[in-house]
Amino acid sequence: MPLPPLSRRSLLRAGGVGLALAATTALASCAPPSDPKALKIAFFGDQSGADELRARLEEPVRALDPTIRLEINATPGTDWNEFFAKLLTQIAAGSRPDIVSVATEGVQLMAGRGLAAPLDEYVTRDLAELQDYFDDVSPALVEAMMYDGSLFLLPLDYNAGNMYYSPLLFEQAGLDLPAPDWTVDDFYDAGRALARIPDINAYDWVVRLWGSWTSFLYANDGNLLAEGRAPGGQWLWDAAYAGNPAAAGRGGGWAWGDPIANSPAAVEALELMIELRREGIAPSPDVGGGQTSQALFAAGRVGMSVGGGFWAGGLHNAGMAPGSFDVQYFPRWKSQRHLFGTAGYSILETSDKKDLAWEVIKRLTFPDAFDVLFPGNVTTPARQSLSTAKRYETTGPEHWDVFSSTLTEFPETAPIPAPIYFNALSTALNQRTTEAIATGDARAALDGLQIDLETAAGAVA
Amino acid sequence: MSAVTPPRTAPARRGTPTGPTDGVRRTPAARRSRRAEAAFGYAMIGLAGAAILLFTIGPILASFGLSFFAWDIITPRRFVGLDNYAAIGGDQRVVHSFGVTAVLAFSIVLLQVAIGLFLALLVDQRRRASTKAVFRTVFYLPLLASTAAVSIFMTYMFNERFGVVNYYLRLLGSSGVPWLTSDAGAVVTIVFVAVWQSVGFTFVLFVAALAGLPRDVMEAAEIDGAGPVRSLLRIKLPLISPTVFFACVIGLINAMQLFDQAFIMTKGGPGTATTTITMVIYQTAFQNLQFGYGSAISMVLFAALIALTGLQFTLSRRLVFYS
Repeated sequence: MPLPPLSRRSLLRAGGVGLALAATTALASCAPPSDPKALKIAFFGDQSGADELRARLEEPVRALDPTIRLEINATPGTDWNEFFAKLLTQIAAGSRPDIVSVATEGVQLMAGRGLAAPLDEYVTRDLAELQDYFDDVSPALVEAMMYDGSLFLLPLDYNAGNMYYSPLLFEQAGLDLPAPDWTVDDFYDAGRALARIPDINAYDWVVRLWGSWTSFLYANDGNLLAEGRAPGGQWLWDAAYAGNPAAAGRGGGWAWGDPIANSPAAVEALELMIELRREGIAPSPDVGGGQTSQALFAAGRVGMSVGGGFWAGGLHNAGMAPGSFDVQYFPRWKSQRHLFGTAGYSILETSDKKDLAWEVIKRLTFPDAFDVLFPGNVTTPARQSLSTAKRYETTGPEHWDVFSSTLTEFPETAPIPAPIYFNALSTALNQRTTEAIATGDARAALDGLQIDLETAAGAVA
Repeated sequence: MSAVTPPRTAPARRGTPTGPTDGVRRTPAARRSRRAEAAFGYAMIGLAGAAILLFTIGPILASFGLSFFAWDIITPRRFVGLDNYAAIGGDQRVVHSFGVTAVLAFSIVLLQVAIGLFLALLVDQRRRASTKAVFRTVFYLPLLASTAAVSIFMTYMFNERFGVVNYYLRLLGSSGVPWLTSDAGAVVTIVFVAVWQSVGFTFVLFVAALAGLPRDVMEAAEIDGAGPVRSLLRIKLPLISPTVFFACVIGLINAMQLFDQAFIMTKGGPGTATTTITMVIYQTAFQNLQFGYGSAISMVLFAALIALTGLQFTLSRRLVFYS
């Protein structure tokens, strides 16, 4: 039967309907259907790392529930700031993982915005099982994972801002190696001596929140935000840390108060960095992750730099032999207070597999899980008992115990200031620090930072 | 009088295409074939239309709609009317970044066009086609490289302490330039990298335009004694002015959206010296989670681009010569 004649108008109409259908179908396909048999983990790193982790975790997860399929999706980024920006965008686009890797930078952001689920009930219920873990982990790390009285993560690893140095360059400069109680003046003198060696950076640093000039700020007894503690948390301290003096006086997590970015301590710390550059001790710093700084150190072209336990594996993997680098506590200024960042895995509030996710998270706290998660000394284990000479015998450094003893030697050591508006803080800090280095005017830059932070805090409020 | 009487058909309506087959009664097979051909054409247009709708027009409309809301992607969005737009004028960060973007964009376009034209004129003088092909390829190659990769590579090249550029400057007796860590140095470096990578585009446009110049006109000018400079200013430039205009329009639209180089090489610094408007949009929306406000800023950028392009078209009536 012949087709009826198709007019131009009919064709246009059909085309329009087809186009609308195509658009609707495509839009519908943008929202991925929820898979009841998949446990999804959002992982900070590249996909090859995520695949390796999945291969190692598959069996323990199958032991918990043989019907569940483990999916680990990687989100790469130069730092946690970038990771969270991408993660939140993915969540907005409908991708809802059950478990998310979260560091100090994102704890309050996730908890404060209702994205992360509190673990209080699970921890209370399974405390007997977890007591071995709490006995082994510093309460300082656990407190950094609390917000408003609730616990949102179990810390698995951390990094305190210690000082790496090159024994070879120290020897070349005729310097004694830094002692545990060395001071900022000692550091400065060492910097001047190292700067006489051609083609090296006596001191190298990175513009970021962790281990930047902020390490000097902490040692100068300052901070970017007023420090305080949220009420609550006794449910945990009384139960898991009963009788532990290190838990005394702790509350329900860090409560970051008003910005104090232009305080005299902050101005003095940033002026020190400007002076280091002026004297040729330190170059203008890069912004971000610090890969360039680490690569330069591995190439033997940096005398000193702030690093954590993660540098041990990084420098070893970059070809540095044990003995060609070492680490010491951060030098004393007004105090020898260090800063640290810690990380773990959080359950998303939207997850419909919270119970299983909790079982996985609990499983990750077992001692044998650490090397599954972090092979190759790429961070410091939260469990003190895992920091042993054997762990560092192939990678170094010689004074590996600095990593694990920082929290006990300097109990006033505190996490980086990461409020709910962490992303805005991080951006403003980067901009104002580079401004100060370029102009040489720390006071003006920090006055600007103060305004930026007040604006960001006000926007959240 | 024609031997064949045309069939009685309704008079052609205004806009109805006329052609050799008009008014001829087609066979059913021919009609089916024509319908199938038309359907195929509309299907192809439909696919392209769907892609544009989904990936260009859709997001623009969504962004426009979102600009009237406060939304942090986590809590429900809240209608705020024109508040986001009202806030832009008082936001020094946005105003400053528009200024930074304008400086970068006009510098980039100016250099892109000037260097692209200069190189094209040089290559145009080569007689051998193979030589021209080699130069065309060499100058176009950077455009094929990933901007992110180029930016990372250039970051190392311009590193103050260990960069190749300062290494050679030191050999010449300079103490080295803080390329990426001083306000002026960062702006110059980003302009350099953007121009280095994109000049191949304007170059190829100008080479094609120069190759298309009418030979008789050029020969007449030569016979009349016009020298190279006079010939360039009085004949070549007016004749290729539509291409120059096109390069300026496209170049400015691209340069006003500069992001990758500044984001990777300087993170917008030092301070906010290289913070472009697209970086502010990124920070506002994706880092500070102010998607409504970020959308409002992007709409202002969109309007600014339309206004700039309109201004260029207005100026083109005086400056561009369409033969």
